[in-house]
Amino acid sequence: MTRVQEGSTQAGITRRRGLTGTLGRVGMIGAMVALGVPAVSTAADAPRRPNIVIILGDDLGYADMGSFGSEIRTPNLDALAANGTRFTNFYTHATCSPTRSMLLSGVDTHVNGLGNMDEWTAPNQLGVPGYEGHLNHRVATLPELLREAGYHTYMVGKWHLGKAPDLIPAARGFERDFSLLDGAGSYWDMTSFTALSPRSLFTEDGKYLRSLPSDYYATKTYTDKLIDFIDANRGDGKPFFAYVAHQAPHDPYHLPKDWRSRHVGEYDKGWDAVRQARLKRQIEMGILPKDTDLSERMWFIPDPIVLAPVARAMLGKKMELYAGMVENLDFHTGRLIEHLKEIGEYDNTVFIVFGDNGAEGTDLFAMIAGSPGTLNYLFAAKNWSNTHPNAWGDPGSYVAYGPMWAQVSMTPFSQYKGWVAEGGIRNALIVSGPVVKRPKGDINHGVMHVADLMPTLLEIAGATYPKTEGGQELPPLIGKSWGPVLAGKAESPRTEKDYLAWEIFGNHAVRQGDWKLRWQYKPLGKGAWELFDLRTDPGERKDLAAERPDKVKALLAVWDEYKKANNVILPSRSMFETLDDQLPPRTPVDPGYPPLIYKRQFVPPQDMLADPKP
Amino acid sequence: MRRVALLRWIPAVLLALCALLPLTAEAQARYYWKSLDGANVVPFIFETLSGNANPADPAHTVVPGANVTGTLGVAGYTRMFSLFDRGAMAALIVPMGHISGEIRTPLTTTSQSANGFGDPMLEFDINVVGPRAQKNLADVVRYEPGFSLDVLTDLAFPIGQYSNTQPLNLGQNRWYGRLGLPVVWQLGPWVPGERTTIEALPALWWFANNTNYLEGQTLATDVLFQLDGHVTRDLTASLWVSLDILWYLGGTTAINGVAGDKLNNFGIGATAGYQITENLTLTAGYLMLVSSGSPNSLQMDRFTFSLLYGWHSLVEGARRLEESSKK
Repeated sequence: MTRVQEGSTQAGITRRRGLTGTLGRVGMIGAMVALGVPAVSTAADAPRRPNIVIILGDDLGYADMGSFGSEIRTPNLDALAANGTRFTNFYTHATCSPTRSMLLSGVDTHVNGLGNMDEWTAPNQLGVPGYEGHLNHRVATLPELLREAGYHTYMVGKWHLGKAPDLIPAARGFERDFSLLDGAGSYWDMTSFTALSPRSLFTEDGKYLRSLPSDYYATKTYTDKLIDFIDANRGDGKPFFAYVAHQAPHDPYHLPKDWRSRHVGEYDKGWDAVRQARLKRQIEMGILPKDTDLSERMWFIPDPIVLAPVARAMLGKKMELYAGMVENLDFHTGRLIEHLKEIGEYDNTVFIVFGDNGAEGTDLFAMIAGSPGTLNYLFAAKNWSNTHPNAWGDPGSYVAYGPMWAQVSMTPFSQYKGWVAEGGIRNALIVSGPVVKRPKGDINHGVMHVADLMPTLLEIAGATYPKTEGGQELPPLIGKSWGPVLAGKAESPRTEKDYLAWEIFGNHAVRQGDWKLRWQYKPLGKGAWELFDLRTDPGERKDLAAERPDKVKALLAVWDEYKKANNVILPSRSMFETLDDQLPPRTPVDPGYPPLIYKRQFVPPQDMLADPKP
Repeated sequence: MRRVALLRWIPAVLLALCALLPLTAEAQARYYWKSLDGANVVPFIFETLSGNANPADPAHTVVPGANVTGTLGVAGYTRMFSLFDRGAMAALIVPMGHISGEIRTPLTTTSQSANGFGDPMLEFDINVVGPRAQKNLADVVRYEPGFSLDVLTDLAFPIGQYSNTQPLNLGQNRWYGRLGLPVVWQLGPWVPGERTTIEALPALWWFANNTNYLEGQTLATDVLFQLDGHVTRDLTASLWVSLDILWYLGGTTAINGVAGDKLNNFGIGATAGYQITENLTLTAGYLMLVSSGSPNSLQMDRFTFSLLYGWHSLVEGARRLEESSKK
């Protein structure tokens, strides 16, 4: 118990007082037993609580890892999958900071402060508790609770949950950090996107950085820093919790030269062919059922086979860069894993790998800098105009791969980040480590949610979620522990009655069992409720709302319950409110239509050819 | 997907197309950059030269005591194509212009001049080391030369203006040609505005005898080694500069078997290039030989201005469509 007691002495470090530490200690033993951590007998063989490493890919798609059907080479992440379990029904939120807020608080976004993203808070949400645009102080954070439970708590990477001194990682429970406070930015330096916020903000151990290390490259530096943090406290016997919130592979696709050309020409075949290949592998692997259909190619995305080679090459090159970003992320994850093996910590480390939302299909750069004459346009002209394809990946270049490749990243699902179709909210999840007692390489289809991490990790750490903090009542957790699932004693933390719900930018949805009801802005949605049976139609191709009014009614009741319980205020303004005027009218996508652009030259029979008569 | 998004690469392609540079006996910087299969270039080069050798003669035969000035134009046509999947080009070069000079001896000073067309030259160049041919626009936008090595051959046809009464002529009245190995070595990124190259063209010139030199004498010239070297650097996406060096070695000329001095001359110069439009490029350069001061030593300096017009039917058509879509 020595190590556990050492950990408990850390309880006074944070501002939390009262019940928390006690509850943590009381719950510790039972929780460890539940998760299969070896039982305590003597001081000599005291249980060593596992380290916890969360690898979060920013905008990493469901189908982007090799172990989820990708052709992108991710051997290190795949090795974690091979040693652990893959989860195929894991949900995040549709955008990044809401997901992160639930990951770190276990509480619904409309309660924890991310009822809308800070960048898009609507007029009718201003000043409303739960819509602060940052992780508010009415919630406890996972690192705070783990730190009190005796864990070292480290964070590297993107924070995006607040920039003020009382909101930065060091103020929210992280003992050590090297963090990008913004939602995105250059991977090479402190250049940000807008004229009024031209510099990205970084903190290191609670101090705002004036400059970055001389050899800074985001993914590399984050990994280096984390390894340093781990090594600095190595040997004191305390486990660590590391939140590795990589910026990669979020656009802009900045990456070192030797990572840019590992897939040259591979994506010239176009997005449809790559999607089909990924689906085939997903079915072969058992990620998806045999009869899974791809979601339809979105109507405004051209059929790649009618594009000229140069168009396919240039659009393909964007995907080449994205693949390089993912492979570079995998490489640096491999460095971390290798280091943990070298210092003897790997076998006692729980790894949790996932992306924070659907892949990005919206042109963020055009949204920010696409209007000539604006401050942001001129800012982009100076700082983000390195547009030549050979400069893609360099500082000053801004490449994002667009909706066509985002759909590939989200194979087989429909749509992408920002939307509550499956392509916006479902993600790949890998969990490995000593708490996973399922067969190695197992694939689980239970319905999981990012908010489950709070109860799950507290359980792994032997802590419990407190009812109050500083005399203030904490909101209830919305997640469910994965303990029984990881232990192989259950297939899902949820019953058919349990539900999940989402709302962001006015798009909203609820899932209960295999049924999903969703409302989205036109034209990606209908501006009306749509109903899908995810068991038979994960691609959300067929709206069953008209056929199953009973299901619509039942799920509407669930939605109302969720809305009321979490004070959901649908925004009066949305980033998607004018999208219906920006995209071409929605049409069905029928392969081979119109024949006009597919029909090849008619070749007459040779024996009927003739020269013109004089 | 809006149409404009798919077409916005056209300008980059056009920029690549216009990386077609002048054709002269002394290769200018960025001359051997490759472009799209089927691209065409028409150069017009204007040179003013002075020295003690016939500026139209690639053998650079020194005329002791001469003070020669020339105004030369070179027009031509170059076509890019692929051969065995390698980038290649063929060119026809036609020099023309006016040269004049005075030849001083201790007793007399004679003036000479010539005008008309020089000897047309056919040139063939093929890349042997480096990226494969750019057979479509996708290849063009992915192209980076890295380290590229070509094989170059030239053959001049002795049909230009010639008079056997004077050494200054635009035509040389003999066959001659060149075998060279153009090298382009990319340093750093291949991004307009950032490109840096080291380029070299080591070449051997050979010359047949002119058996009707100055009233029936025989002019023979040994093989001449010529090295052109350049360090080039973009200043902006459309403006570049080059530091140029030139070295002649060998090429001993004999008249009726009486040999003169072999050449061993070093020159230095600079060139600037500017992309005026997507089709049109202007270069201006100056080069001078470092002279020993001896009257038998080759002396030469040269201003060069060139205009190059490049086009490709595919790109021109795409541009027409793009322009019409804006109307």
